[in-house]
Amino acid sequence: MANGITRKQHLAAYAFVLPFFVVFAAMLVAPLAYSGYLSFFADRLIGGVSFVAFENYLRAFQDPGFLAGLGRTALFLVIQVPIMLGLALFFALALDSGRARGSKALRLLIFLPYAVPGVVAVLMWGYLYGQRFGLIAQITRGIGLPAPDLLSDSNVLFSIMNIVTWTYVGYNMIVMYSALKSIPAELYEAAEIDGASQWRLAWSVKIPMIRSAIVLTVIFSVIGTFQIFNEPSLLLELAPTAITQSFTPNFYAYNLAFVNHDINYAAAIAFLLGFVIMIVSYVVQLSTQRRERLS
Amino acid sequence: MRTRASRAAVALGAGLLTTALILTGCTPGASKPSATTVTQAEIDKAMNTPTNLTFWTWVPKIQDQVDLFEKKYPKIHVKVENVGQGLDHYAKVRTASKAGNGPDVVQLEYQFISSFALSGELADLTPYGAKDIAKDYVPWVWKQGVANGKILAIPQDSGPLGNLYREDILKSAGITEPPKTWDEYKVDAQAVKDKTDSVIGNMAPNQGAGWLGLLWQAGVKPFTYDGKKGVTIHVNSPEAKKVMAYWQDMIQKDLVTTDADFTDEWYAGLNQGKYAGWLTAAWAPVFLSGAAADTSGKWRAAPLPQWDPSKPASGNWGGSADAVLKTSKHQIAAYELAKWINNAHEPALLFATEQHFFPTANSVLEDPKFVGDQPDFYGGQKVNELFAGISKTVDPDWQWLPFMEFAYTNFNETFGAAVAAHGDLGAGLDAWQKALVDYGTKQGFTVNG
Amino acid sequence: MTAQVTIPAAAPRRKPFNRERRRSNLLTVVMWLCVAYFILPLIWLFISATKDNPDLFSTFGLWFGHDFNLFANIRDVFTFQDGIYVRWTLNTVVYAGVSAIGASLLATMSGYAFAKYRFPGDKVLFSITLGAIMIPLTALAIPTYLLFSTVSITNTPLAVILPSLVSPFSVFLMRVYAADAIPDSLVEAARMDGAGEFRIFWQVGIRLLGPGIVTVMLFTLVATWNNYFLPLIMLNSGELYPLTVGLAQQEATSAAGGGAQALFSTVITGSVLSIIPLIVAFLYLQRYWQTGLATGGVKE
Repeated sequence: MANGITRKQHLAAYAFVLPFFVVFAAMLVAPLAYSGYLSFFADRLIGGVSFVAFENYLRAFQDPGFLAGLGRTALFLVIQVPIMLGLALFFALALDSGRARGSKALRLLIFLPYAVPGVVAVLMWGYLYGQRFGLIAQITRGIGLPAPDLLSDSNVLFSIMNIVTWTYVGYNMIVMYSALKSIPAELYEAAEIDGASQWRLAWSVKIPMIRSAIVLTVIFSVIGTFQIFNEPSLLLELAPTAITQSFTPNFYAYNLAFVNHDINYAAAIAFLLGFVIMIVSYVVQLSTQRRERLS
Repeated sequence: MRTRASRAAVALGAGLLTTALILTGCTPGASKPSATTVTQAEIDKAMNTPTNLTFWTWVPKIQDQVDLFEKKYPKIHVKVENVGQGLDHYAKVRTASKAGNGPDVVQLEYQFISSFALSGELADLTPYGAKDIAKDYVPWVWKQGVANGKILAIPQDSGPLGNLYREDILKSAGITEPPKTWDEYKVDAQAVKDKTDSVIGNMAPNQGAGWLGLLWQAGVKPFTYDGKKGVTIHVNSPEAKKVMAYWQDMIQKDLVTTDADFTDEWYAGLNQGKYAGWLTAAWAPVFLSGAAADTSGKWRAAPLPQWDPSKPASGNWGGSADAVLKTSKHQIAAYELAKWINNAHEPALLFATEQHFFPTANSVLEDPKFVGDQPDFYGGQKVNELFAGISKTVDPDWQWLPFMEFAYTNFNETFGAAVAAHGDLGAGLDAWQKALVDYGTKQGFTVNG
Repeated sequence: MTAQVTIPAAAPRRKPFNRERRRSNLLTVVMWLCVAYFILPLIWLFISATKDNPDLFSTFGLWFGHDFNLFANIRDVFTFQDGIYVRWTLNTVVYAGVSAIGASLLATMSGYAFAKYRFPGDKVLFSITLGAIMIPLTALAIPTYLLFSTVSITNTPLAVILPSLVSPFSVFLMRVYAADAIPDSLVEAARMDGAGEFRIFWQVGIRLLGPGIVTVMLFTLVATWNNYFLPLIMLNSGELYPLTVGLAQQEATSAAGGGAQALFSTVITGSVLSIIPLIVAFLYLQRYWQTGLATGGVKE
C-alpha cells in the first residue's frame, strides 16, 4: 500500500470526524474542564470566591444528602432496571414467538409511551397518583379499598420507578425485538418443528443470541438511572416533602447550583457522579464479558 | 418548593397627584441640589430618549399597567418577560445579573429583597427621588423595601393574613360566628370534624411563607440581618415552639389536614368542600373566587383567630415589589417605570381591580372603589375593607434572612416533613434551625443562634 | 425424545412454517392486559382533554364529563396569551429539526470515518466518544451557560441547538451501521475508478446509509423535542420556549393561581396536542427505527 494513498485516506478520515469533534470539544470538553476547575473553588455569600482544592469533594463524601441520593439511585438500579428489562425481554420474546394476536399493534402500543415527552408523562402520572382525586384512587375506592398515598415519603421512589418503567419498557423491547428478528429463522425453526417449547427455545437459543443487545440495554439503563432529573424536578410540587433537594445526585447538582447558589459544590457533585457512572458501567460490562467467556 | 407570593396582589395607588407634581415641578428629593441626587432635567432628558427596558415579572396581565406607562412616555419601550414562577424566577435573575445581561426592572417578593441587597445587585433608589413617595405607603410595607438606609424596592402589593371560611359548613356544625381566638378555633375545629365531612382547614407542609406568617402574627421574630455579615436565627425559640405545639396538637388530632397546597388535589379539595376554611392572605379572596368558582356565595372573611384578643395582630404572607438592577444601563427610566406603575393612581388602582392585588398604597386602600367592593363570592361582604383594617395590625418589625431560597427549600425537608408525618413539630423546628445555622456559617455569616 | 436444537445444513427448500395454527389465547390475553397498563394513562389524558376545569376534578377519570369540551379546550390552548402555544410549537419544530439534521450530519460523517478508515488515534477518539455518553448533563449545563453568556448567546435558539448537535450515541450507531451496510469492496472499487474520498462518501456511502440516517435523525429529533432541562436553563423569554418548558411553566402558573388562572384543562389539552406529532412520526417511520435499533443492538 503506497504511503501516499494511506496518507490521503487519513486526511480524509480526519476531515470527516473533524466537525463532530470540534462541536464535541466546544460543547462537552470545554464545559467539563470548566466544571472541573470550578469544583476546586468555593463561593461564599460573604467573602466571595476562594481556592479550596479538594474540600468540595471531601464534603461530598460526608454529605448525608448526597450519600442518601446515591443509595436511592442504587436501590433504583437493583429494583427498577431488572424489572423493566425483564418485562422488555418477556414482551420481545412473546412478540417474536408470534403466538399473540395483533402483535404489530401490541408492539406499537407498548412503544408509544416512549414518544411521550418526559414532562408530559410526569404531569400525567402526577395527576393519576393524586390520593383524593387521581384515577388510581378513584379505582381503588371503587372496589372498596382505601386510596394509596403514592406520593408519600416512602412511596414516591417506587412511583418514580413506575413512571420510568412505563416510559422505557417499549424502547428496550424494540431493541431486543429487533435483535431477535435478525436471528436467522432456520436456527430455531427446526427445533420448533421438533416440538421444543417456546420457553426452552427462548432460554437456549434466543436469549444467548441477543446477548449483546441485552447488555446494551443494561448499560444504557444504568447510565440513565444515574442521571434521573425530570421526575423529581416535576414531582416536586406534588410531593414537596417527599422529594428532597438531594433526591437523586443529578437533581442535587441542579439544586445546589440554582437554588443554593453553590456552583462549585454542584460541579464537584456532578464530577463524582460521572465517576460513579463510569465505574458502575465498567463493572457491568466486565461482568457480562466474563460471563460470556465462561459460558 | 415554590413560595406563593402575591397572587392577587394589588398595586399601590394614590400619590398620583403627588407624582404629577414631582414630575412637572419640583426637584425630587432634597430641595438643595446634591451631587448624588438626580435632577428633574436629567429625568426629563432620560424619559425623552428612546430607550428599551426589560422588565422581568410573573405578575399576570401587567402589560396593561406597562401600556399605560408607555402611553405616558412614548419614547420608552418596555419588554415584559415571565421567566418563571417562584424560585425559578430568582434563579434566573441571579444568573443573568451575574452574567451582566439581566433586566432593568425586576419583580421581587419582600422576603428576597435582603438577599439581593447582600449581593449588591440592586440599585439604591434614593438618588432618583424614592424618599418622596415613602409616605404614600403603609409603613410596615415600605420598611420591607428598605435595607441599610437604602431604598431598594417600590412596594406593589402585600398579603396580610386573615381567615376565609365556609359559612355554610360552619353553620351545619353549629358555629354561627367565626372563632376569635385560637382556643375557640380548636373547639370549632372539633365541631366541624365531628358534625361534618370537612375539616376546618388545611396546613400545607410545603408552605414556609404561610407558616412564617403565623409566627409573625404571634409576635415571634426568628430572623434578623444587619445588612452586612451578621444574622440571628431563632426559629426554634420557646415562643415559636409554643405556637407549633398548638398546631402539632391540631394536626395529631386530625382537626386539620396536611395536604400540599396549590396542587390539583388541593384545588379539588376547595371545590368540593373538603376544607371549611383557609388561613390565608389578602390576595386569596379573589384567587379563591376563581379557583373555587362553584362555591360562590358560601365564603366569608374574618380576621385571624388571636392569641390575645385585646391586641389584635396579623402577619403577612406574600406580596412583592419592583426593584432596579444595578447592571441596568437606564436606571433613571427603570426607576420611573418601577415607581410609576406602583404609585400613579390609575395603574395602582388597576392592580387592585384587575389583578386583584392587595394594595400597599394609602390612596388605593382608601379609594371607595376598592374599599366598597362587595363581591358575590363572599355573599356581599366588604372583604377589602376588612383586610384593609387587618393590614394596619401587621407587626412592622419583621426581617428576613438573606438566603430565603435555601431556607424555604430546607423548610420542606425538615419542618415540612414533620408536618406531613404528623410528628413532632418542635423537633422539626430544631432540625430547620440546625440546617439554617450550618448554611449561614458555611456561607461566611456571623450567625447568632 | 429430547428437543434438540439442530441447525439444518443448507436446506434447499424451507417448508413454510405455519405459525398461524399455534396461536396462544392465554398469551394474547396476557399481552393485551399489559398493553392496558401502557395505554390507560394516555386514554386518561385524551379523555381529560375533553373536560373543562370543574369536570376534571369531579368526574371519573376514564369516562367523559358532563360536557364535551374538547374544541373549547383546543381553542383555549391556541388563544391563551395571544397564541403562544403556536409559537412554542414552532420553536420546538425548529430546535428539534435543526438539531436532528445537524447531529445526523456530524454523526454520519464521523461514523462513516470510524467504520471505513483506519487512522492514527481512531480507537482513542472512538473510546472518548463512547465515554462521553456517561457524562451527566448537569455537569455540563451550568458551565455551558456561563460560557455562552460570555459570548452572549444565552436566551437564543443557538443556546439550545448547539449542545444538541453532539450525540455520541448517534456516532456509535452510525459506525455500526456503516460497517455493516457499506461493503469495503464497493469503496475500493470507487477508489479505483478515481473518485475522491468525499465523493465516495456522498455518492456511495450516503445512499447505503439511508435507514441508519433516518434512525439517527429520528432519535435526535425526539431527544431535542423532549428536552426539558437544557432549554429550561438557557432560555428566559417565553417566546423562545419549546413546548416542554412552556407547558411546564403553564402548569406551574396554573398551580400558583394568580388572579383566577386555573389552567389545568389548557395544560392537559396542550400536552395531548404536543404528543401527536411525535406519535405520527413514529408510526410513519416505523420501518426505519426498528431496523436502526436492530443494528445497534445486535452487532458488537
